[in-house]
Amino acid sequence: MRLILIEPSAAKRADFEPLSLSRPIWQLRCGMTSLGEKLIAKLRPAETACFVEPYMAAFLAESLTMKVNDPATLAGADLLLVNGRVKVTGFDVAPTGAGEIGVGDDGEVMYARLSKAEADKCKADTLEAFLAVAKKIVPVKTVNLPVWNYTWDLVLQCGEEITREFKARGRSGVEGTLEQPSAIRGDPKNVYIAPGAKIHPMVVIDAEHGPVYLDEKVTVHPFTRIEGPCFIGAGSILLGAKCREGNSIGPMCRIGGEVEESIVHGHSNKYHDGFLGHAYVGEWVNLGALTTNSDLKNDYSSVSVIMDGKRTVDTGSTKVGSLIGDHTKTSVGVLLNTGSYVGAMALIMATGQPLQKFLPSFAWLIDGHVTKGFGRKQLYATAAIAKSRRGAKWTPAEEAMWEAIFQLTAEPRDAAIQKGRKAMLRK
Amino acid sequence: MATVEERVKMVTARVLDLDPAGIKASDEFGADLGAESVQSIELVAMFEEEFGIEMDEDEALSVTSIGSAVEYITKVCKEQGAAI
Repeated sequence: MRLILIEPSAAKRADFEPLSLSRPIWQLRCGMTSLGEKLIAKLRPAETACFVEPYMAAFLAESLTMKVNDPATLAGADLLLVNGRVKVTGFDVAPTGAGEIGVGDDGEVMYARLSKAEADKCKADTLEAFLAVAKKIVPVKTVNLPVWNYTWDLVLQCGEEITREFKARGRSGVEGTLEQPSAIRGDPKNVYIAPGAKIHPMVVIDAEHGPVYLDEKVTVHPFTRIEGPCFIGAGSILLGAKCREGNSIGPMCRIGGEVEESIVHGHSNKYHDGFLGHAYVGEWVNLGALTTNSDLKNDYSSVSVIMDGKRTVDTGSTKVGSLIGDHTKTSVGVLLNTGSYVGAMALIMATGQPLQKFLPSFAWLIDGHVTKGFGRKQLYATAAIAKSRRGAKWTPAEEAMWEAIFQLTAEPRDAAIQKGRKAMLRK
Repeated sequence: MATVEERVKMVTARVLDLDPAGIKASDEFGADLGAESVQSIELVAMFEEEFGIEMDEDEALSVTSIGSAVEYITKVCKEQGAAI
């Protein structure tokens, strides 16, 4: 069987911004892995391919081993197409069997299972055309599968997902180095320290309330406390961090200060003191010293998030921190309000007080005003430097993707710039 | 109507909190007028507002003095049909 990871509609994708601006939904993380990796682990396909937004296809093709947006992958094998929003724990569709398409109440394709013979009859140049034909030759049924709706769903579910995946992976014990004196609280079976990981002295790993998984080549500096459930990705470094429960930190991150129930993608830095709670942080983000986000309102009411500068969504949760897009950087002392949307490729300077809750992508926030700053070319140059420091390259395909994102995010940014201009003129 | 140079000096004085009478065409924004990088961003924004134009960020930030700002803004105003 060939698994094809597909994307939801543009409207549904927008509910995962700013993280989904630069990646498909199935690349979002929750627990120890991405949503796509969970589907692959469960369905065990012979091969995997994907269909993504056209503007990001060339960039993804550079980094993925699977084929991207290739119509040839829609023929020649038994197929199972799965929407990236589908929660793996509630997906009980047999990977192979009679052809059928499951759609949500609004017609969104959740999955499509086709035999090789059926798939070959649907030959088309695009995924949309393929599915249109498929709907005519195999039964279509309305299904009510559990799905991810917003980015904060992933944050709120992260601890539980770490616990589930830790158990499924079945590893425990110390294969790396645990220097003494250090302490493991709770059941040592709830701790896994992978080969090459180095845990310095004076570290507390508290697995009493959940497992702790420290992946290969993780380094944990003295005076760090790690509470489970927690996952730390390969090559990441914890620098005297108060790493509270429910964190999933991707590979090659630098994490200090206090972090609670947050997801951080790879290659992001929160090196210094400052609180990050119930946040979702993208890749290549740098949070300056003392950057702090609120994740709880003083009146304990439900947190709302302004998704595109004007669409306010009530999260239904009293604990939601910041959503921070890829390549965004904050200065020292930035204070982020509860449920802040911080766009991708933005540069945020402190004002001494909590910032506005919506900060558009590519914004240069200066003195509390959204400006054009030194422009996006300067941001790309900085991104290229940041990547080179970790041995990664900024490529033309990547820049082309960000140029598309710049256009996609223009409307709320332009409005914020105009608002900022008026405020500057009033000074 | 004020000249482009007078308007550039007026905006510069407002953003950098200076006396416009003390600003010369040869003054460098950084070395002579004390503009920091953050204020350069604000200067570009306020020049755009003052003249009703849109400046290319790279070009605008390569302008380092009052005199060169006058030249550059005059050129952009002509290109974009803004009245000066």
